[in-house]
Amino acid sequence: MARAQLSLLERLPWRRIILVVLGVVVIAVVGIGAARTLALTPAEGGYSADAWEDFIVQGAAQGGIFAMIALGYTLVYGILRMINFAHGEVFMAGAFGSFFFADAFVKSGFLNSSPVLAVGILMLVSAAVSVGVAVLLERLAYRPLRNAPRLVPLITAIGASLFLANAFRGFFGPQPYGYPKPGVLAGNVTVLGVTLQRTQLLVLAVAVISMIVLQWFISTTRTGRSMRAVAQDREIASLMGINVDRVIVTTFAIGGLLAGIAGVLFALTFEQVQFNMGFKPGIAAFTAAVLGGIGSIGGAALGGFVIGLLQAIGPPLILTGYGIPSVFSLRDAFVFLVLVLVLVFKPGGLLGTGEAEKV
Amino acid sequence: MEARGWARTGALAGIVTIFLALVGLIGEFTDVYLIGDEITFAGLMLVLPAVVAGMVAAAPRIEAGVRRELRVGEAAVAAAVAAAAAGGVFAVAVLLTDLIGVERIRTVFIKISPQLMDFLTFGRSTVGGAVIIVLVSTAAGVAGGLLRVAPPSIRKPVGTALIVTAMFGFLQRVIPIMFDQLVLERDWLYSPIYDGLTWVGALVVATVSAGVSVLYARFGGQVRESLSGGPRREGSAISPLWLIFGGLAALALLAAPLLLGSVVSEVLGSVMVFALLGIGLNIVVGYAGLLDLGYVFFFALGAYSLALLTGATLNAYGIPPEPVISGSLNFYVAIPIVMLIAAVAGVLVGAPVLRLRGDYLALVTLGLGEMVTVLIASPWLVPLVGGPSGMRGITDAAIGGISFRDPQNFYYLALAFVAIAAFVSWRLAASRIGRAWTAMREDEQTADAMGISTTRFKLLAFAIGGAIGSLGGALFAVKIGSLTPASFQVLISIQVLGIVILGGMGSIPGVLVGALVLVGLPGLLREFEEYRLLAYGAAVVAVMILRPQGLIPNVRRSRELQDEERLQDEWVKTVKEGETPGEVGTVTGVAP
Repeated sequence: MARAQLSLLERLPWRRIILVVLGVVVIAVVGIGAARTLALTPAEGGYSADAWEDFIVQGAAQGGIFAMIALGYTLVYGILRMINFAHGEVFMAGAFGSFFFADAFVKSGFLNSSPVLAVGILMLVSAAVSVGVAVLLERLAYRPLRNAPRLVPLITAIGASLFLANAFRGFFGPQPYGYPKPGVLAGNVTVLGVTLQRTQLLVLAVAVISMIVLQWFISTTRTGRSMRAVAQDREIASLMGINVDRVIVTTFAIGGLLAGIAGVLFALTFEQVQFNMGFKPGIAAFTAAVLGGIGSIGGAALGGFVIGLLQAIGPPLILTGYGIPSVFSLRDAFVFLVLVLVLVFKPGGLLGTGEAEKV
Repeated sequence: MEARGWARTGALAGIVTIFLALVGLIGEFTDVYLIGDEITFAGLMLVLPAVVAGMVAAAPRIEAGVRRELRVGEAAVAAAVAAAAAGGVFAVAVLLTDLIGVERIRTVFIKISPQLMDFLTFGRSTVGGAVIIVLVSTAAGVAGGLLRVAPPSIRKPVGTALIVTAMFGFLQRVIPIMFDQLVLERDWLYSPIYDGLTWVGALVVATVSAGVSVLYARFGGQVRESLSGGPRREGSAISPLWLIFGGLAALALLAAPLLLGSVVSEVLGSVMVFALLGIGLNIVVGYAGLLDLGYVFFFALGAYSLALLTGATLNAYGIPPEPVISGSLNFYVAIPIVMLIAAVAGVLVGAPVLRLRGDYLALVTLGLGEMVTVLIASPWLVPLVGGPSGMRGITDAAIGGISFRDPQNFYYLALAFVAIAAFVSWRLAASRIGRAWTAMREDEQTADAMGISTTRFKLLAFAIGGAIGSLGGALFAVKIGSLTPASFQVLISIQVLGIVILGGMGSIPGVLVGALVLVGLPGLLREFEEYRLLAYGAAVVAVMILRPQGLIPNVRRSRELQDEERLQDEWVKTVKEGETPGEVGTVTGVAP
């Protein structure tokens, strides 16, 4: 069936044409929707400036949580080239684990008498649980598969995610538990002219501090250096005397630590924990990691905030203009749409290397 | 010091037992009797980890690259140490629970109940119970260890007898119905009081299955050889043995609903729907090697487009019941259209994302699947698909007055579609297209260089896989008669993936077995429903680590998955032959 010449049809760069057309359609939909929404007055179903400010603050706070989870994805990916699909459940485990302490604290009055100490302990507990789960996961499920074909660890991770979520369902039941919140975190506070809830302020502060600490850890400490070395080339790193197994465990532990802290922040924000709470933030955080360029630490942080903001602002800004009812229920679909579009148009991510493009 | 290794194995098993108790797999099943009124499912769960620990401790060692079987005495000691450690760890947990107080622990771990403690201590004092636990575990572990090192002439019949008897115990809702339908006396086999097997029945089942196993060991080889006429070449026509085996399986599939009544047929109908989904996903994942986590997209597409094409009505209040788009086609006219829509959707979904590497593709498809589930539930699409309250009045696909809503009839309808899909997929695999998929899966770049248009074949896989998946959705709609978004969660994708993985990627009989095990068994043991997804997760992880080729492997696919291990085995062999034992890295994950 060898043909001397390709026909005109086959010579056309179909893929590029489809992408360009798709891109134009997406930009048009977003642009028209946004323009129409902004033209609406609050009486017609539009939003006031205050509402937009709320969306932004809410999005940024969410984004902080996403960023912290995304760091776990990106660190593991950087070192093992594997998507730890069960990372959302690591996050859930920490939040759930800390719930029982929070519950005990609120019953004994400790949560409200010394809230700073109490929330600190909750974060420690949550981090400890998450680190434990993450390390066990690596040891039991992923380590035996380190040299397996690429899809095998991913499928294992999916199985592990299902297993962990349902194990927690078995332990504690399917119902949601109300997560107590110390009284000081109720109400609003105004910083630099922006009004935000106190919880949101806490979330933002903790997220930014953890990211700075992480950056310092990775760039200056000895362990951080070995992590970077292993990420660059596992084999050469091991020849240089780096204990690769230990570095990998450390990476999972750091990812778990951040996820655990994020778990408490998430629980304080939504005042609820449940066995399946890890799935959606997990996907959102993964989207964030990809958006920022998976494997890049700065990228994950940036991606987290961008996804948080997009998720909070996108649906009202774009969808309201088309007269779609209850836009907020479409929030999750919106995150997925962003994930799909990022992977289609810029799989390397914002700060990525473009390596993800092919094979 | 080897004893430490055994003890560690045992301690791990003890922790597994604690885990089983915490998730409720022991406490919820104390009154599910398998044999008589003594052997319960809970009891089995309690000793099974110890047995496995004993078997692992007695497993052959690989010393300096050479495999060495343990002697009997050695194995008994190893198994005893491991199982005692398992029992010890669990007994300590029971004692601690008693010390802290059951009610206090129960405020956190809701499955820890006084009844469970009663069961675990055998109705005695806690200390006495703990001692019994250690003794029982040790005995069970030693039995497991001895079985492991026993010669095959003993191990195989005993193992078969144990497994078959346990299966008969599990199938206590199925086999008695079969006896009733055949007007056979059944009280000798299944106890009318405890539902499980009677001791006499268990003994008969065990003896018969052991006997069959012995006969097979003696004559099986001859039969196989005389039937297949020499060793089989890969890819050659099917051997007579498979023909007989397949014929028996087909007969069993055909007779099942008649023998099993409508309750079991209902479950079998679900099995068939999932088998259909599995066959479709198998084309995408197993043949073409594209990990699709959004398969629910096609399932929902099939169900809803069938509903729209055949004139179903909306469930939502306050709006006209007629959907915005509505046809009034016959089911059999609508089916090809549904499949065509799904195939086109498969291409449209696939086209932009195909250049992505495997794991990214997985997540994009996951995203698409989740988007569909959010969209069908959103208020926005109420006029089309009814939103959260869904649609009703879907056709029952009747032919000449025979309604296929009836579970027994539905089973045959589904079976027919499964048979067609399996045949198509089997022929596809052996065709030029199938070979192109194989090449692409094994090495995309090389396949490309060999002149295979990878884009075209990937899209083809998506289109065919999507069409079969939509067929599954359409049948599902016929089966339940009404649709709500709750039936189309993203978990469906993962369940179907579990079926394909468990059965073996690329293997059609594997898909059927996977669906039977993962959909059928939990459906038959109602109490187990809550633990279905837990079992899915555990099964997927275990299969990937222990046996990545699945239960009924596709020959070629299993070689790809085991390449690494094969190389290690080869190496071990050369060392053995050359008699130069050197230092060997741990040989991990050698499949049984």
